[in-house]
Amino acid sequence: MLWVKTLGVVLVMAGFGSYGLLGANSLEKRVEQIRNVRLAMGFLEKEINYLHTPLPLAFSRSAQCVQEPARSLFENCSQSLQDRQGITISEVWGQSLVKIRGLSDLNNEDFEILQLVSSQIGMSGTEEQNRLFAMIQEQLIIQEGQARREAEAGHKLRAYGGFIVGAAIVLLLI
Amino acid sequence: MDVNDQDIIKKDILPFLSHDIKAIMLNMKNEYFRGMEEIRLRCGQPLAVRIGDQDYTLDRGGRVEKNLSLGYRVSAEDIYRSIASISDNSIYAFEEEIGRGFITIPGGHRVGLAGQIVLKGPEVRTIKDFSGLAFRIAREVKDCAHSIIGYIYPRELEPINTLVISAPRCGKTTILRDVARSLSLGTRWARGCNVVVVDERSELAGTYQGRAQMDVGPRTDVLDSCPKARGMIMAIRSLSPHVLITDEIGRREDIEAIEECVNAGVAVITSVHARSIEEVQKRPLLGELLASDAFANLIVLSRRCGPGTIEQVVRRDALCCG
Repeated sequence: MLWVKTLGVVLVMAGFGSYGLLGANSLEKRVEQIRNVRLAMGFLEKEINYLHTPLPLAFSRSAQCVQEPARSLFENCSQSLQDRQGITISEVWGQSLVKIRGLSDLNNEDFEILQLVSSQIGMSGTEEQNRLFAMIQEQLIIQEGQARREAEAGHKLRAYGGFIVGAAIVLLLI
Repeated sequence: MDVNDQDIIKKDILPFLSHDIKAIMLNMKNEYFRGMEEIRLRCGQPLAVRIGDQDYTLDRGGRVEKNLSLGYRVSAEDIYRSIASISDNSIYAFEEEIGRGFITIPGGHRVGLAGQIVLKGPEVRTIKDFSGLAFRIAREVKDCAHSIIGYIYPRELEPINTLVISAPRCGKTTILRDVARSLSLGTRWARGCNVVVVDERSELAGTYQGRAQMDVGPRTDVLDSCPKARGMIMAIRSLSPHVLITDEIGRREDIEAIEECVNAGVAVITSVHARSIEEVQKRPLLGELLASDAFANLIVLSRRCGPGTIEQVVRRDALCCG
């Protein structure tokens, strides 16, 4: 019977510990991903405001220079726009955000900010595009700062918390 | 006509229309594509098509009706989706074109834009809140200038200054395009020559992303979206043309540039809006130009037997051709 108990203890500890570590990792990844999205929006902004590159090409060029999840987001947008199925950028952007939601560590608030892009991207003049990107960048900088603070505060808590909760449950069960 | 209107419209125009309007047009009987000149989308108004001299509308099933009230009402979304398609979802990339009031799409077709005008000082900066789109279907009719080319480029001689006089929609742009192609290519009795087309409104060559969509000939350079007067002077200085072709002159600077070109030994072939030579003579600037004998040929066009009907050719010097 002892070995069953030992196995149970190990499994509970490993399970809760891993969950905690994953959570901690996700907090750090979110900071990195917001930074990547911010960089990606910067590349896109330059393609639009300085080079006046049409969006399908601007997305595909910018996708080459950035990392996930921005890369998938931009590649999806570029592909859908190049298919020329009469779909608007607002719809394409919304669909692409849904596609990357499961692949990223961004939270709902981050996605709400990204959703704002769909309202105007592409469909106005350079000055308006400038203002849109400035606004998005500002909001993403705030989100990044907040995510960094959450990661710093929550990393140890989650990483150790998983094991502590696992240990507590083991003690309760024994 | 050596073109298939149905193929042109289905390939070049329909992909830029909203889903609903595209479906309606695809349900339309094929015979109506022939001779279609314009498709007009006006927000809240019936979808309108111009076939020959007649305006028609289409109902939801694609049936062609003369009574406009029976037509499918174009929605703001139809306009938005169409402009999104035309601009590749990138209005910012077409700001200059939008400021001029039209966008050229692949195939050289022009889409006229209506909406709220945004000014920057006295200049039109852009248009926003689009309320209407007019698709003008460009057609290339090769050899349509065959009957007049002999007057413009006589045997063994240099091309001659020519003014094409035409009311709107009488085919002057199509004729000028074919003149450019023919002079550039050369005729049976005369060698091809360097032609510069100064295409202020991107109509003659239908340039899209730097490439002429229409055949304007192998020895032709195009100055696209270039003001006529400035383009003519630029061309003389840098492109050594034998012939300069431009469309719809009328401003003082155009007249001055033409005089400059004529005195520089470059033949100018251009057009003007009027129904007759008398009408041109009554216009102050153009009347003076005509009186100065700058143009040796005057060609009057009409729609009497369809667009491009040569109504009158007046030779104002002793030159003639075979």
